[in-house]
Amino acid sequence: MTTVTGVSGPAAAASWQPVLSGEDAVAAAERAALGTSARVVVWPPGNLEAACAAADEVLGALDRQASRFRPDSELSAVHRAGGGLFLLSDGLAGAVGVALAAARWTGGLADPTVGGAVIGLGYDRDFAALGLNPGGPPAEPVPAPGWYRVRLDGPLLRLPAGIRLDLGATAKGVGADRTVRAVMAAAGPEGGVLVSLGGDIAVGGTAPRGGWPVTVAERPGRGDAPGSQLIRLAGGAVATSSVTCRRWRRGGRELHHIVDPRTGLPADGPWRTVSVAARTCADANAAATAAIVAGTQAEGWLAAAGVPARLVGHDGQVRRLGGWPAADGQPLPVTWGSHVYAGGLR
Amino acid sequence: MSADRGDPGGRVPLAGVENSYSAERPVARRDGIRRARRMSNWSAAALIVGTGAAAVALAHQAVPATAPAAGPAVSGSQAAAPAAGAAAPGTPGPQVRHSVATTSASGVTTTTTRTVNGTTVVTRTAPARGDD
Repeated sequence: MTTVTGVSGPAAAASWQPVLSGEDAVAAAERAALGTSARVVVWPPGNLEAACAAADEVLGALDRQASRFRPDSELSAVHRAGGGLFLLSDGLAGAVGVALAAARWTGGLADPTVGGAVIGLGYDRDFAALGLNPGGPPAEPVPAPGWYRVRLDGPLLRLPAGIRLDLGATAKGVGADRTVRAVMAAAGPEGGVLVSLGGDIAVGGTAPRGGWPVTVAERPGRGDAPGSQLIRLAGGAVATSSVTCRRWRRGGRELHHIVDPRTGLPADGPWRTVSVAARTCADANAAATAAIVAGTQAEGWLAAAGVPARLVGHDGQVRRLGGWPAADGQPLPVTWGSHVYAGGLR
Repeated sequence: MSADRGDPGGRVPLAGVENSYSAERPVARRDGIRRARRMSNWSAAALIVGTGAAAVALAHQAVPATAPAAGPAVSGSQAAAPAAGAAAPGTPGPQVRHSVATTSASGVTTTTTRTVNGTTVVTRTAPARGDD
């Protein structure tokens, strides 16, 4: 579906569209970013303009740093060099550092060296362009070379030849975390903000009473679908990974974007959607992806990680762990500390 | 050194001070040691209490009740003054009843920009194939 949503000046590519939430106490706007949609919700409503400007700066920078689809991105330049030692910008070094920490935390279930495998399956361009060029059958599956072969020392990255990084398991979370921080810096210490980046949500400042009302669903824009749930997020973050979206066909096979690093194939466990609450969105993002990849081991891994989680099986059955509320409108418990940011929390 | 063990050792008493090295001196000395120990214990206790209080105060500063966002420091240009309509300090959050966002699989949205007759046309495409 293609819609013309605006006609305006040169800066309109980054234009925000107001979102009517039915709430006068908050203001919300949405725009396309990082191949998905970004939404900013603030209170008081007067903070929205400053919030959107701050979000533009953060999301634009992250796209220039970490996109593997933009030929002019810093990450693409690293890949073109074919391995070696690189001095990264602070932004990309931070994103790679989070990805490597997430891989360590998840025991390699969320591994950024899965880039080659994902490309081999055909996800080699911005997803919106995939449908236009279906291509031939996928290449032979290639297991990930292993995150432990990548070295990051401050801004210095040592990337062995042939390894391509895909920061997809953490990048949206990093983007949401950074945007919340930037919005709070821009709008001042009072008030609150919620940032959603492709359904991965982080909040900051003072939440509305009882927490931000957030719908948990499997697909975007289907908040009223059967099986969805309303929760309240007073702090931290919640993220969802699912194999129900970003699917494509290659050589008669249906594929999806969450790849098991151990096999180089799309994960085929019993869970189709996993939502996780954590202190930071990058933590929640990594844990949700790891749970999809972990398959039958997901419940054990999530329990050991101590994060609240909601898992939906291929049969539609819902399993809740770690204090995830069963009833609608209940607050999500969020654990302290971060596993993916240096120092526990940044 | 023998002078430290009770022998005046040829020292001359100060005028008006009699028998400064009398038999009572060991008792006075023990009292002094006890007093010093008591002072030392109180000092140590005060130090422990002070360190604990400082640690608690720092912990509260480091982890505010509301969740700070993660990520690197923002640039100076982002650290702007509070926007117009900012809430007063200490204002509790508003009452919000309806859902304001959805956590779900990430939808696919792309924005392209082209110029038609000198006007910029922004086209938003969503969802893409396999994402509906």
